[in-house]
Amino acid sequence: MNIVFVLIPLSLVLVALAGWAFFWSVNHDQFDDLDTPALIPLSDETSSGPAEGESKKP
Amino acid sequence: MPSLTCFHCGEPVAGDAPLVARVGALDHPVCCIGCRAAAEWIASLGLQDYYRLRDTPPPRAVAVGDYSAWDRQQLQRMYVHQRDGGDAEVCVLLEGLRCSACSWLIERALSAMPSVREIGVSVPGKRVRIVWQPQTESLSALLGALAHLGYVPHPLDRESLNDVVEREQRTALKRLVVAGLGMMQAMMFAIVLYAGALEGIEPSTRDFFRWIGLLVTIPVVFYAARPFFAGAWRELRARRPGMDTPVAFAVALVFVASIVETLRGGAQVYFDSASMFVFLLLGGRYLEMRARHRAADVVDALARLQPAVAERLDANGVPESVGVHELQIGDCVVVADGATVPADGELVSAECRVDESLLSGESKPLLRHRGERLIAGSIVVDGPAQMRVARVGAETTLSAIVRMIGRAQQQRPRWSRYGDRAAGYFVCALLMVTVVTAAAWLVIDPARAFAASLAVLVVACPCAFALAVPAALARSLTVLAQRGVLVLTPNAIESLIRANYFVFDKTGTLSERGLELVSSEAIGPISVEACLRIAAQLESGSTHPIADSLRAAAGEAEPARAQNLRRVAGGGVEGDIDGEHYRLGRVQFASANEAGDDDRIVLAGSRGILARFELREALRDDATATVDELRKSRGGIEILSGDSHSRVAAIAGRLGIDRFGSRVHPDQKLARLAQLRAAGMNVAVIGDGVNDAPALAGADLAVAVGGGAELAKSSADIVLAGDRLGGLIEARAIAIATLRIMRQNLLWSLVYNAAAVPLAAIGWVPPWLAAIGMSLSSLAVIANSLRIRAAAPRATAPVPAAARNLTPAPA
Repeated sequence: MNIVFVLIPLSLVLVALAGWAFFWSVNHDQFDDLDTPALIPLSDETSSGPAEGESKKP
Repeated sequence: MPSLTCFHCGEPVAGDAPLVARVGALDHPVCCIGCRAAAEWIASLGLQDYYRLRDTPPPRAVAVGDYSAWDRQQLQRMYVHQRDGGDAEVCVLLEGLRCSACSWLIERALSAMPSVREIGVSVPGKRVRIVWQPQTESLSALLGALAHLGYVPHPLDRESLNDVVEREQRTALKRLVVAGLGMMQAMMFAIVLYAGALEGIEPSTRDFFRWIGLLVTIPVVFYAARPFFAGAWRELRARRPGMDTPVAFAVALVFVASIVETLRGGAQVYFDSASMFVFLLLGGRYLEMRARHRAADVVDALARLQPAVAERLDANGVPESVGVHELQIGDCVVVADGATVPADGELVSAECRVDESLLSGESKPLLRHRGERLIAGSIVVDGPAQMRVARVGAETTLSAIVRMIGRAQQQRPRWSRYGDRAAGYFVCALLMVTVVTAAAWLVIDPARAFAASLAVLVVACPCAFALAVPAALARSLTVLAQRGVLVLTPNAIESLIRANYFVFDKTGTLSERGLELVSSEAIGPISVEACLRIAAQLESGSTHPIADSLRAAAGEAEPARAQNLRRVAGGGVEGDIDGEHYRLGRVQFASANEAGDDDRIVLAGSRGILARFELREALRDDATATVDELRKSRGGIEILSGDSHSRVAAIAGRLGIDRFGSRVHPDQKLARLAQLRAAGMNVAVIGDGVNDAPALAGADLAVAVGGGAELAKSSADIVLAGDRLGGLIEARAIAIATLRIMRQNLLWSLVYNAAAVPLAAIGWVPPWLAAIGMSLSSLAVIANSLRIRAAAPRATAPVPAAARNLTPAPA
């Protein structure tokens, strides 16, 4: 039963981590455009495109 | 693949594709030079995948305009934000930005420009934010690049960079998720406590779980619920308690009571109830906010009617480009052909024709004489015109309209306000019942007073009340939007249910803008086909609907051979083909010695009339079905049109409508609407908004069919996007379903509370059961609201946009 006293604080740490990650992603524009990123893997582009494009994005 | 649609914009290509764009190794037909340029540029950037990824075709590409005026310092000060390190930032509204493939294309294409550092495209907001190095690239070059892709760029002023809407949305999302996470945790620990209460639990373990529950509820109460406390504080200071006051009170009370219980090791804690309460309320508000913001895009569309640049004449009469904000009253301004009037003022040059369709709804260009008023936002059709500025900036008519719309969008639906008020009364009553319960138990059995009064507070669920209306409304707005029906004003759903008299505009609403050729008859020695080809030659280069239908009927396009083409306003066109002189147009014009008939077009050669063409308006695909359906629901139907009697009668006859008015001026339309409303009718006006904006404004419910002018859409309560009239029928069914669901929700929460509160007050409900009851009552309301989709009949579904574009991907 005593394991609960370890696991529950651990779960709280994980929740805090999840909350922090979510705030980070909202602040970094991750929730502003929910459509375009889904298309990126569909393009066969291999050359100059991706690397350059990624670096330009905030 | 049908070869006759434009590769870029998907519009039909006239004839046998005289223009081709080379993409990859293949030639694709395109409809115009603009589209060819766009397609080839996209291909040259290696971005052909755009054509495979998109699900909505872009608008027809327009020829790239001149954006050099945007490089002026005075103008840039207002539109460009200088960032540290020499970078500049600008926010541009893009006309024609429709789907995620568009945003993909823009991101990729602009990333390829060396000076561009950051790009953020927002499809719902139709805007792109660009950070670039102004030393290496001018703003006009960026705008030119966007225009090159086929999007019309409109820079937005600096305030829009600091996006209020975006911040509001982000904060709301964060609060909602915090409340959600906290709620899940609190419930998990609450289950332990409930189980413990049933099976037995050591007090120390129980207290441990209570403290943990308190810990996870703290962020919910102090962060997620802050809007409620702030709102309550505002309401109390204004001495006008609204919805936030009881909510904040209930949250604070339950939270404080639970802390007290935790500290003294009492019978029950309610951290789960507190966080769930906050989460559900925030959820309802979040959905409402999203719907409100979607409507706000329309205001942006209006704002872009105002041009940013004007041609001012200096003392010597030499024009110079200045920013519109630099204009002063009394300045003399030149408005070029096809340009937008920058400010309200009076015409100084002799006369000109202006298109005010976006403002007044009059579709025909209006003739203005010297000294008459020109309104900012209207378009000069045959310029250049000179005008003297009379009103600028916020004083103009256009600004007033923008403000009006902005105000309308701040309002919440009447139903929502009723719901809020009901919930407010409910909470006040509830607090009193709690006090009475506590007082009564203190007299009878002080030991049970706290538990019983808390049970009353928790079991009675104000959030079921508070959610009853917004949950149903938000759900119906979402369902409607999915079907292409955009609800712009708060009370539109209510008005839609009440409407029992439907007034249609004709052109662009019941009928398409285009014409169809019904019959053609050769009179002279030349065959019908040859006559059609001659007619098509004469009309080559014209964008008039008559020209389009004649060209379509003539079939394959030939290289233009017509010479000396001359267009006579109100008459027709004349020109020479192979040495022979032809006239095409109204009978009086083509051949002087014959009487006129409105709908016939006549082709005449030098030896008299060669052929007659009869054109008629093409009915919208679903016009008949829609009118029949409305008639079935016993609604009155009438057509009011500014068009001639014979045309209106023809359309009315085809649809079986017996009440119609022709040659109706806008003010007469308004008078007719007032008369109908005085007779007790709830009038809905359905128009394309271009020539009936005033009528739309005077109706109980204004419906605009999409594709019309942006402004008219904004004076509409409902916009049927995607040009489908049938959306009206679906919207009505959904609205009726919404009302039913809303009533069920309210009834349910009333019955539940009426049953549960007395039981709790007499102490029969242990607080843990009360908490479960409260949660279930809220969930029942939400689940019931989700049924709105199922309740609505699915009418003829539109062809999915994706299906139309299943063209093979370029190699």
